Amino acid sequence: MSATTQYDFDAIVVGSGITGGWAAKELTEKGLKVLVLERGRELRHGADYTGEHAPDWKLPFQGKPPRELYAEEYPVQSTSYAFGEATRHFFVNDKQNPYQTEKPFNWIRTDVVGGRSLVWGRQTYRWSEQDFAANQRDGHGIPWPIGYDDIAPWYSYVEKFIGVSGEKLGLAELPDSEFLPPMGMHKIEETIRGRLKRKAPDVNLTIGRTAVLTQNHNGRAACHYCGPCHRGCSTGSYFSSQSATLPAATATGNMTLRPNSVVEKLVLDSETGKVSEVRVIDSQTGERLRFRSRLVFLCASTVGSTQLLLNSASEAFPNGLANRSGALGRYLMDHVHGVASMGIFLDDMDSYWYGNRPNGTYIPRFRNLPGQEDQSDFVRGYGIQGNVVRMNWKVNYHRKGFGASLKDSLRKPGPWVWAMAVFAECLPDKRNHLYLHPNKRDRFGIPQVVFDAQWRENEYKLWEDAVGQSDRIMRAAGAVLNLKQHQIDSPVGGAVHEMGTARMGNDPAEAVLNAHNQAHDVPNLFVTDGACMTSASCVNPSLTYMALTARACDYAVKQMQAGVL
Amino acid sequence: MNRREFLECAALLIGGVSASQMGITLTVEQQRHMAAAPNYIDRKMSYFNAAQRATLAMLTETVIPRTESPGAIDAGVPRFVELMVFEWLNEQERSLFVDGFAALMAQVQRDHQQPFEALSEKTRVNILEDLESAASDSSWYSFGEIPVYVSDAPFICQLKELTIWGFFTSEVGGTQVLRYEAMPMKFDGHQKLHDDDSSWVSVLI
Repeated sequence: MSATTQYDFDAIVVGSGITGGWAAKELTEKGLKVLVLERGRELRHGADYTGEHAPDWKLPFQGKPPRELYAEEYPVQSTSYAFGEATRHFFVNDKQNPYQTEKPFNWIRTDVVGGRSLVWGRQTYRWSEQDFAANQRDGHGIPWPIGYDDIAPWYSYVEKFIGVSGEKLGLAELPDSEFLPPMGMHKIEETIRGRLKRKAPDVNLTIGRTAVLTQNHNGRAACHYCGPCHRGCSTGSYFSSQSATLPAATATGNMTLRPNSVVEKLVLDSETGKVSEVRVIDSQTGERLRFRSRLVFLCASTVGSTQLLLNSASEAFPNGLANRSGALGRYLMDHVHGVASMGIFLDDMDSYWYGNRPNGTYIPRFRNLPGQEDQSDFVRGYGIQGNVVRMNWKVNYHRKGFGASLKDSLRKPGPWVWAMAVFAECLPDKRNHLYLHPNKRDRFGIPQVVFDAQWRENEYKLWEDAVGQSDRIMRAAGAVLNLKQHQIDSPVGGAVHEMGTARMGNDPAEAVLNAHNQAHDVPNLFVTDGACMTSASCVNPSLTYMALTARACDYAVKQMQAGVL
Repeated sequence: MNRREFLECAALLIGGVSASQMGITLTVEQQRHMAAAPNYIDRKMSYFNAAQRATLAMLTETVIPRTESPGAIDAGVPRFVELMVFEWLNEQERSLFVDGFAALMAQVQRDHQQPFEALSEKTRVNILEDLESAASDSSWYSFGEIPVYVSDAPFICQLKELTIWGFFTSEVGGTQVLRYEAMPMKFDGHQKLHDDDSSWVSVLI
């Protein structure tokens, strides 16, 4: 289909993470010759998951973190639950990759092919119609240019490929996915679920919906329940671009994947109004390269894609490429995230588990559902991800005593603890933004990102409500003691769900992207990662990014075939 | 890597029927995997002298003794403590440990005219309990958020922390005192827990 005489490739995809992998798969399967540019190092599926299956006694310092190294070179990355000596090789070195903040912002980044799809939390939830209608309804941000019906078929399409295990509930506020069998629950979780049905019937507790396979699926093996997915999984039992989409793209013979490729700038052809060239710096050699393509897909992460657009300013777009609206860099969002309640249970003390379930439970949003909006002094809502564990020696050894009795009490399981981690929706606020530093540059000469974002009134109200509601749920569930966390202890970026800064919308005066993730101002430019998000919902966003990516690829190729692009 | 190690590693990495059915192949670079590396405590090192090592071994054994199951010495904890003191603690923490250790050795010699390791178990525990009650103001004992390490913790707290951590994260402690299963292949949340059952090795998921 392609006339590549003037192009090196039909399409260039920037980034190889959760959306870049999807763009690569979709575009190559539709016959396009695709160049995938990844700024991180090469990483081979399986072979380079060097921390996989290493028990504590194999790890440096038997699992105690090298404190000076982390403080000096990984002060931000080491705040991620997934970061440690068994995964450090996936992450960026903060010292070598600086950014600036006006307010605290945790920017968690990987530095390898596969991106953050290697270390994501794998929780997989559809947005609801209410989520897509939220901005329109309460007036925050601008209306989404699409609704649930536009994306639902693409959710199904993505889910069938990646494999999502979960339980059907039939709830409007959390539409069901195409599910593989759900993972099992702990007995204590079933006890809690039974009590909530009686004492808090407005609350649903279900097993987490996760992109971890409960049966063999599309050539990938069922989970073997070793536990720490974020070390990489050589059996491909959780979805990552490494385990699924990149191999699919490779199989077409149409993909060229180039690691160590830092994209510096997109060059606009002022005659055609399209991106004509992608400028790359090879991070290993310093060599500067230029690639030309008919289509450009930015899948470089929310911040990465927007940084690139801001750095691609030209005479036609002095404030950043495709930024006629002025929205580029603005309306930065994340989820307000933290453990709101931690309850102790003395039930089911004779019950234990076999196998490390890489998943917890989920309480879908139950506040401000349709018909309830007048009952609170805040808008939007939150979901609660729970997990139970029995206390063990690791949380219990700072105490007195010696000898056989100490040893014996430390080796046995203690009471159950149920931790309730809240993810609350963050409003799109113009003041929450990122921009390029006027002077400070990174080691490639690219201006550093500056973050200026903070939680605001509605987020604080949501958190306060979540703490109160989680306490009510803990009591209904039968906790003998509940420790509440009244402070939001995670800065923006802490949930690693950063969204917005190149939002979608129908009005080119207000939005960077149209209903198909296509730049209003630059027709061959698509942005399909989290930067495109117009609002944040309260559910984990990766599934929606993937569905939007597949949908945008379909649209772009049809436009090409129609001769429009 | 010899053949036995290779097979062990291979079994660990692809263990279980469904994984091997998928035709997962191993690379020649298996030794780069931490799972195939020697245990942490098998690192070469030489920091303490023979007398210090003899006393340190008995100190760790007094904290976590051999009972019907292995104890600190069986689990290589003395090596862990020595490695951590010199390769993980910062300078200030190391001084606290080394000075506290020296003071203890000298005090025991003065009071008992023999080294710590020659004393009866009852006497050894009494000595550590005395040290612990003198240290009871330390924030090491305070309830709340679990710190990575309490930098100003006195010697006795450092000894306990490194011994307990070193024991339960060791291969012997993890597999013979706690329970460990690298490849469970299923999740079952309804396992019966009997009175004397140990915890699983804790896995950060």
